[in-house]
Amino acid sequence: MSPTRAPVPPVPARTARQLREATSSARRRHRADPDLNPLRKGLRLERVPDPCCFVLFGATGDLAHRKVIPAIYQLWRTNLLPAEFSLVAVARRPYTDEAFVAEIRASVEANSRVRPIDEGAWAELAKRITYQQLDFGGDAGFDRLSERLDALDEERGTAGNRLFYLATQPSQVTEIVHQLGRVGLDHELRGAGWRRVVIEKPFGRDYESARRLNHEVAKVFRESQVYRIDHYLGKETVRNLLVFRFGNGIFEPVWNRSYVDHVQITVAESLGVESRGAFYEETGASRDILQNHLLQLMTLVAMEPPSSFHADALRDQKLQVLRAITTPDTEHVRHDVVRGQYGPGWVEGAAAAGYREEPEVDPESETETYVAGRFTIDDWRWSGVPFYLRAGKRLPKRATEIAIQFKEVPLPLFRESTGDPAANVLAMRIQPDEGIMLRFAAKVPGLGLDVRTVNMDFDYGTSFAVDSPDAYETLILDALLGDASLFTRADEVEAAWAVVTPIIEGWAAMPAPRFPNYAAGAWGPEAADELLERDGRRWRRI
Amino acid sequence: MAPDLRQPGVVHSVPEIERALAHIWADTVTHRGDGEHHVAARSSVLNLVVVAGRRETAESCAAIIEATAGRHPSRSLILSALDAEGRPGLDATIRTVSVAPAAGSAGTGAETIYVTVHGQTSHHLASIIVPLLVHDLPVALWWPRDPQFVSHRGDRLLPIADRLIVDGSSWSGDGLDRLREMARVVQGRRLVVADFALLRQARWREALASVYDLPDLRPHLRAIRSITVEFAAREEGDPAGLTNIVRPVYHVAWLASRLGMSVIEPMRTLTDGRRNATLRQGDHAVAVEWRPVCSDLGEGSTVRVEIVSRLAGAELVGDVAAGDCSVEVAVHDKGRERVRRTYLAPRLGDVDLLERALEDSASDSVAAEALAMAGRLVAAEPTPRGAVARNHRLTQEPGP
Repeated sequence: MSPTRAPVPPVPARTARQLREATSSARRRHRADPDLNPLRKGLRLERVPDPCCFVLFGATGDLAHRKVIPAIYQLWRTNLLPAEFSLVAVARRPYTDEAFVAEIRASVEANSRVRPIDEGAWAELAKRITYQQLDFGGDAGFDRLSERLDALDEERGTAGNRLFYLATQPSQVTEIVHQLGRVGLDHELRGAGWRRVVIEKPFGRDYESARRLNHEVAKVFRESQVYRIDHYLGKETVRNLLVFRFGNGIFEPVWNRSYVDHVQITVAESLGVESRGAFYEETGASRDILQNHLLQLMTLVAMEPPSSFHADALRDQKLQVLRAITTPDTEHVRHDVVRGQYGPGWVEGAAAAGYREEPEVDPESETETYVAGRFTIDDWRWSGVPFYLRAGKRLPKRATEIAIQFKEVPLPLFRESTGDPAANVLAMRIQPDEGIMLRFAAKVPGLGLDVRTVNMDFDYGTSFAVDSPDAYETLILDALLGDASLFTRADEVEAAWAVVTPIIEGWAAMPAPRFPNYAAGAWGPEAADELLERDGRRWRRI
Repeated sequence: MAPDLRQPGVVHSVPEIERALAHIWADTVTHRGDGEHHVAARSSVLNLVVVAGRRETAESCAAIIEATAGRHPSRSLILSALDAEGRPGLDATIRTVSVAPAAGSAGTGAETIYVTVHGQTSHHLASIIVPLLVHDLPVALWWPRDPQFVSHRGDRLLPIADRLIVDGSSWSGDGLDRLREMARVVQGRRLVVADFALLRQARWREALASVYDLPDLRPHLRAIRSITVEFAAREEGDPAGLTNIVRPVYHVAWLASRLGMSVIEPMRTLTDGRRNATLRQGDHAVAVEWRPVCSDLGEGSTVRVEIVSRLAGAELVGDVAAGDCSVEVAVHDKGRERVRRTYLAPRLGDVDLLERALEDSASDSVAAEALAMAGRLVAAEPTPRGAVARNHRLTQEPGP
């Protein structure tokens, strides 16, 4: 990797308005912090959001039906939403309230993690759902929306608190945000309730477009009002990673370059692009997974302990990691980053078409469905420790894992052993079987001194016989409570793009790759194995 | 919960129970009705010891345990007595079940051991319990109905436990004798108390806290002048003082402990059934009153909590009242309504309560401080006026 640092964007001069907002925002944060109410101590798990209106843009889309609305139903069913709750579904297609409710009822039945549907809870929630047809480009619809939200405040007691959830195409985000600002729906006037906007990834296509998007959003909403959602961060085991690192004293002393040999992070999918060929053609694995999921996991592994669990303390530390990642130049992209595309093969016992044969995919596509890279972090803790990241589609199995491989013992004492004790590994499985595994050496029972490697395995199921909440439930509740810890800040997004953009640009400058270069059902291209073999290492067999 | 994995016959001693358990887990292949074989792993969560008096209590506790998810106990040991006077001995049966987080996911095994004790053995429960605990797992002691904290049995059982689970709202009489005892016996012990009576109030606490969420109202937290708790009484005015008032006491105890109040005058009973106490907050007194009222709610349930504060001549009234499956909050600042909202608060069932009792953090300082304050609030009730003496007519269960 090049020793150069990721470009740190210059700090723009603040306008008088921004300074005023920053000051008043800091003052407001201080005053409104529920932690300052001593009666709130110990109530964290009981806390219910303020009365509010949840405005769901893109309500007829796949994301809304599969994830967002089932998550809201689940929160409602478990009494985690306020009685004064209202859901305004917004989309372009014409629907009556009744027709829309009937349609989402079917989606909830199909996608809810707890079935059958609780009829009583659903009936109560359904009463709180209304539909509004709206053309995102037109002024009139937003004017009507604004009036309707005011009316709902009166009718339903939603107190002016509004969360705008943009489950729309990325290209529509700027337009919707602009319109919300035009009709004043961003304004948090004194005593008139809070306003928040949730934006789904991708946050831009590269460093420049991410900056432009952040700039456009910032014209309307303050950063503290913006919740950029990367659902990976809401997953139970990802959150547990923070508990594991900062809730246990025994790991911190060895969590550094003195003891860690290297780190491997894998996000493997056995599925192909399914019906998202057109979308995937525009993104590829580097934009879809590397820029967000993989780098976010890397920051959680590598970050310094935050001074508190408040959103900005956490995100400041993650940002430090992103900014310390060495940025690859073209030469290093060639050697340390591997891209791949799957051809035909067999996955999980079934024949799978190659990427170029998938619907809506260019038969000569150069889009990567696999990416692997060797990254380093230039700081005292991690200097010299490689982080190997890989993600791909049509790999042999679905698995997400973080593995910390520790250094071998300095002096091998058990040379007589017929087995070869491997280095210790701490592996955190994020999906599908959530858990934590520690690999260590143990003596084989018997008269000799034979040593074998064994695993100490913690499985969530043996300690918690409870189904984990879906990531969307966690994140939507956090957004309604105003807790941004698990959401990505603008500067984090830009810093992540500052790592990935040179890779994408480097590839563009190179000769066309010889795709496909791995068969569906294989663990990626051979070059990915060579990437580690050059360092005397190999990918973990997952 | 999957069907039974194994149900051996009745055994009659601790060594026989141990052998039966060893036999079950030596054979890690479990058998299900569908004829499939699955390798079972035993869950690694906690031991739950239930000191049930009567057999019917034991059965209802077993049904509740079986329905729990989340932190399902690895081993539940349910003890009941058949006849305290008969020949010493015990009869035990073992039941193993598979607990799965979700349909289709892999299950883990858990055991329930039912022990019925006879004769003198019922006075030595600890000698049965200790050898049957799963090594290195925490021990929760669930003592339903009227636990005998200050007794030979309490002296032997409480040191075994890391967590004590009780339901203060089910205690006989007004419940205050036991509350006082419990506050005293846990003092200085590393014993976490999970009282269903306090757990039931979680949504009430949320609602009461919300009275002061508006930043400009928060200074009123330091200027509270009175707290009034209305509770549903067994009969109008509760003249006999027989309504269990543990929950109403907890409301005040929680508020007082969170807000740094101290007890000037502990609770005393007035002739008309009301009870009052005086607290101190900073340099001013706080008048506390518990008022029995007629209500459709269950006996001893909190009907309404009113908190009045005065700051620089301005009065703030926070009024939190029980609604239909909800808690209603209204806040009036100088007579003007500032907040009105509803918290959904469906009644928690015994399964929910046990799950929460098992799940709650081991160091719940808020609950511990509330219990200590409750103990101080009811510490030295003056000589009963009227019929309070009847409080002591406790419904004693037979051993174990």
